[in-house]
Amino acid sequence: MIAENQFIRGVKAHFQAIKAALAGRMAYRGDFLLSTIIMLMAEMFAPAITFLIYSNGASFPGWGIYEVLLIQSIFMMARGIAFPFFFGMVWNTLSRVREGTLDILLIKPLGLVHLIIMTAFDCNDIGKLFGGVLLFAISMKHLPFPGFMQWVQFLLLFILSLVMLFAFALIMSALAIVWVGNSRIFEMFSAVTSFSQYPLSIFSKPIQTFITVIIPLGLLGFFPASVLLGKYSPQITAAIVSSIFFLIASFWFFKKMVRQYTSTGG
Amino acid sequence: MNKVIIRVKDLRKTYKTYKRGESFKDTVKSLFARQSINLDALKGISFEIEKGELLGFLGPNGAGKSTTLKILTGILYPTSGDVYAMGYVPWKDRKRYVTNIGAVFGQKSQLLWDIPPADAFYMNRSIYGIAQKTFKNTLNDMTDLLDVGDHIHRPTRQLSLGERMKCEFIMAMLHRPSIVFLDEPTIGLDILSREKIRQFILEMNKSGVTFILTTHDLSDIEHLAKRVIIVNHGDIVFDNSLDDLRRHTGNIKLIRLSSHDEIGDIQIRGVEVTENLSKYNVEMILDTTQTGLNEFVRQIGIQFRLSDLIIEEPPIEDMIKELYLDREAESKK
Repeated sequence: MIAENQFIRGVKAHFQAIKAALAGRMAYRGDFLLSTIIMLMAEMFAPAITFLIYSNGASFPGWGIYEVLLIQSIFMMARGIAFPFFFGMVWNTLSRVREGTLDILLIKPLGLVHLIIMTAFDCNDIGKLFGGVLLFAISMKHLPFPGFMQWVQFLLLFILSLVMLFAFALIMSALAIVWVGNSRIFEMFSAVTSFSQYPLSIFSKPIQTFITVIIPLGLLGFFPASVLLGKYSPQITAAIVSSIFFLIASFWFFKKMVRQYTSTGG
Repeated sequence: MNKVIIRVKDLRKTYKTYKRGESFKDTVKSLFARQSINLDALKGISFEIEKGELLGFLGPNGAGKSTTLKILTGILYPTSGDVYAMGYVPWKDRKRYVTNIGAVFGQKSQLLWDIPPADAFYMNRSIYGIAQKTFKNTLNDMTDLLDVGDHIHRPTRQLSLGERMKCEFIMAMLHRPSIVFLDEPTIGLDILSREKIRQFILEMNKSGVTFILTTHDLSDIEHLAKRVIIVNHGDIVFDNSLDDLRRHTGNIKLIRLSSHDEIGDIQIRGVEVTENLSKYNVEMILDTTQTGLNEFVRQIGIQFRLSDLIIEEPPIEDMIKELYLDREAESKK
């Protein structure tokens, strides 16, 4: 009866789920357009602050306005990819655990993380990606064009920024399994990741260590931008190693929390 | 010789939960310190299920039916005990095991609310990797059997509960599972939908599919199951044929009587009035070993000018009480 191998099955199922999510979303087109615009506006808050700071004669020491905007655009692009394609797993888990419908996913023959991700596709957040790309293009126009190797390094670090966001999503989903109905999880994430929208050098040494070695938040914007700008930071290697550990730890934590799942009453 | 398809041994599940008082003071107190309590949902149950069986899992709310079913489907990890289902340990080999099972949860939908069931069926086709031709044939067979061919292309939210539930069955059966778990599948359905679904289950069971049905609706069991397991407070209190269950409890009937006159004392052997609903309406229990149903109806017709008479099976709680009383009586002998 089962005709295909698991990988092909997983890919096909993923596309089918995205198709279904889009069809479902298009049932409420007005809400979709409005949500996309609101998401984009909310995302522009940090760049707007940066613009205000620089237009009033102040600055982040050692950083020009377009260099800071570049960091923020990379942060937006990373979120613009993460949020529609996998970050929705946090809300998906939160609501499914509260309603007991995680059960429905657990009786399907794919990995639970994959099932949570594929049933969480949310095209509203695509606005973040458009906004990020636009801001990135504007910033790059005012900055020296990077060399080929810088682009390669940027691409690798950008992938790691997505890895970091994935690990965050996994940890928050795991928390949602045992911490039922706690919608403040996302606010905690927003507060923590806001560090990554600004140049590392403006923070004190302990915070710098925290966002490079302990939780490498610098990968979400600062480090990928710094290689494009040719401002190599000695902490990059520590951040890369730390991000791999962070990912492994997040998988371990998720698996551990799934064992604690209690479902809802019958 | 029948083959055992599920073997459960000494299965236990304990939930940790928190107790809180009702007052405002208790609510504030619970913010800082909560009293945890362990709840034994399953207290070491053991049973076996053979291939092709249609087993009814019966019990009042909170008895442990759904917990058992969730462990058997790989959704929950047990606290201790063993389960081997088709050679798999459900919670350990979940991905491989669930390709062989299907499930319908009466209160949790597998369909997608804003899009037609057909789209959800296609998603399941991808998830299970069902070949296109097999998928089409199975879908056609099922839509014919359940008579929902016209409905599967309408958004799920526009379907009636009965139509939705039929589509839930298709969703659960598309990959042709060997075992199907049904958790309260007929809850809230009208008589026609209920009948259609029961016919479908019987049809599928004839083709060799094993069904495990949990419910607290006795009529589902009567129409479908040959073997019944009754659970109460996490223990199995009965595991035998439906006929045997009837021998234990079938002598008791629940009767609601309405009369044009005031209802006084009822002088019929084996009748016990359980509730006076009004001067003209009473609820009673009849032990048919003392007065047969025919005789009861004849006598009650003489004593009162009847406006209504309803004869029902007793609720599951009363049946369990009856089972316990029977067991006590047997042990005294």
